[in-house]
Amino acid sequence: MLIELKDIRREYTVGGEVVRALDGVSIGIAKGEWVAIIGQSGSGKSTLMNVIGCLDTPTSGSYRLNGKDVARMDDDELAGIRNREIGFIFQNFQLLPRETSLANVELPLVYRGVSARERRARAIDALKKVRLENRMTHKPTELSGGQRQRVAIARALAGEPSLLLADEPTGNLDSATGEEIVRLFEELHQAGHTLVLVTHEPRLAARCPRAIRLSDGQVVGDGPGAEVAWQGVARP
Amino acid sequence: MIGVLVDNLRLAFGTFLAHPLRTLLTLLGIVIGVATVMTMMALLEGLRMKVNKDFGQLGANVFRIDKWPQGFRFGGGGIDWNKISRRKRLTVEDKVAISEQCPSVLRTSASSWQPGEVLRTAMSETGRDVFVIGATVEYPETSGITIASGRAFNEGEEVDGRRVAVLGPDVADKLFPSLDPVGQTVRIRGRPYTVVGVMERRGKVMGLFNMDNQVLVPMSTFLGQFGLRRGVSISVEALDQSGVAAAMDEATRLMRQRRDVGPTADNDFEVSTNETMAKSLNELSNVVTAATFGVCILSLLVGGIGILNIMLVSVTERTREIGIRKALGAKKHRILLQFATEAVVLSLVGGVLGIAIGFGLAALGRWTFGLYTAVPVWAVAVSLLMSSGVGLVFGIYPAARAAKLDPIEAMRAE
Ligand SMILES: Nc1ncnc2c1ncn2[C@@H]1O[C@H](COP(=O)(O)OP(=O)(O)OP(=O)(O)O)[C@@H](O)[C@H]1O
Ligand SMILES: [Mg+2]
Repeated sequence: MLIELKDIRREYTVGGEVVRALDGVSIGIAKGEWVAIIGQSGSGKSTLMNVIGCLDTPTSGSYRLNGKDVARMDDDELAGIRNREIGFIFQNFQLLPRETSLANVELPLVYRGVSARERRARAIDALKKVRLENRMTHKPTELSGGQRQRVAIARALAGEPSLLLADEPTGNLDSATGEEIVRLFEELHQAGHTLVLVTHEPRLAARCPRAIRLSDGQVVGDGPGAEVAWQGVARP
Repeated sequence: MIGVLVDNLRLAFGTFLAHPLRTLLTLLGIVIGVATVMTMMALLEGLRMKVNKDFGQLGANVFRIDKWPQGFRFGGGGIDWNKISRRKRLTVEDKVAISEQCPSVLRTSASSWQPGEVLRTAMSETGRDVFVIGATVEYPETSGITIASGRAFNEGEEVDGRRVAVLGPDVADKLFPSLDPVGQTVRIRGRPYTVVGVMERRGKVMGLFNMDNQVLVPMSTFLGQFGLRRGVSISVEALDQSGVAAAMDEATRLMRQRRDVGPTADNDFEVSTNETMAKSLNELSNVVTAATFGVCILSLLVGGIGILNIMLVSVTERTREIGIRKALGAKKHRILLQFATEAVVLSLVGGVLGIAIGFGLAALGRWTFGLYTAVPVWAVAVSLLMSSGVGLVFGIYPAARAAKLDPIEAMRAE
């Protein structure tokens, strides 16, 4: 198992009241899987993704990533894990606005201490994978939404992480561009990458081999995407 | 390690270039502080070098005996000026006695002066700023004066109290712009003097006192015109450098004797060498240096608060960027280093600008006011050190704040 979550709880205290964003989540994800996490707004999808991505530490429960117990690591150790093991594709791209595509893609490698020359070569490779080799010196503001998302994907790929995590990767895109991005994910899945993506769109989740449904911080469904995606939802 | 530094420097200059005007404005404190120090140091150093050179020119074997303490002082310096003013004046007889009775003495001269005089010819006149010096014939030698044209006055003219004058080059240029001054007549307070010579140009002592705006007349003539009861100042030249101490000793003993100073009483006259005068000036300039640094530290403090402010703004504006960097694996110390480097680079930019402005002002002073200025290397080094220190001290807190940001929260910021 690449990811092993056992009885993960994440609680927030807001104004003296406890909010259980994750309420005893236990899941395992193997290497090479493509999993969608689906659920209604406020069901805990982003919280779960943050925990899986080591951006957030659970209140309780155990989390093993690639065999390492990450639940008890400190901030800098988690930063190291994020840097080496995880490729993030954030909901609104989260690119550095003043830097070029190339510099943005190089960023995870900068913090891994890779030499400038090698960094550049690997970033160019990653941009080629998302077919953006002709937009390397453009800044995010000079790119379309779909191109920005592809830069974000290239950045996630550049570090060759064990796990790609995407939060609403098509959320900000029109359907044609969204489709283009989903195709890219299919290619990455075929190439052997492990993919976890958060979405509220059943249509997208249905195309994933596996989907996990959250509701009020609990897992309420786990199975083939085509089944779980439409669970409790009126099929259009 | 070098790679990290290069990355951070690139980022730091990137931020600077993103908001050049805003950044420059916040750097003003540092720029002004450093520019002030540089200008003051350039002036002082120039003064110091010039004075040491000027005094050196006057001859290393010469010392002076005066009624009044010589040199430069900061404040009263615990000197009882009342008591000094009651001292007996020095006379030409004292000068003659030293010359005759001190074996280590080569020659002596006496001089007395009247500042703020006007010289007139039929055609023109000088400003009310000419320094009239009455002197004995040896004065040009003991004072390092050389004659450019004509001659100095001679012993006979001195004894007879003739009205002859040697003009400083500024006076000569002013009164006789197109004429050979030698042989012409000038008037001092209505009395006619025949010009016998013109001095070589010497410039200003410490860039302040103009040595070229002088007129030299025989001592007896001077005393006849400006008052017989005037005191004089005596310059004594020893036979050679090794004889200076002995000559001083002999002259002091002789003067004590001539002035009836009791065996336990202090001298009632002052003996000073050019060196002691140069030293007192150096002491003065040390005080000014310290005061300048005081002022500078204040403006650096203001500059530091500017850095603190702009870095806090920068961290707030770039919260999202920091969040992204941390999410992608930047550890705390990397973020800390990035922002600390930025603060140091910013204040170094301020420091370098200040240094440039300091050099500029020093050059301006040189070209427009004829001041002698020299920027000392150590002042450049200290300025750079201080400005980077300010950047580090005031940049650490904002940098630490940036390093502590939670990536999830930070990425949510706008
Ligand atoms: N920082 C926080 N402080 C307090 N409560 C929080 C915080 N973050 C999330 N929550 C709460 O946790 C619950 C789960 O939030 P989460 O963001 O994971 O939902 P989501 O499934 O991603 O929703 P969406 O589809 O709208 O993005 C929500 O009830 C939310 O109010
Ligand atoms: Mg969410």
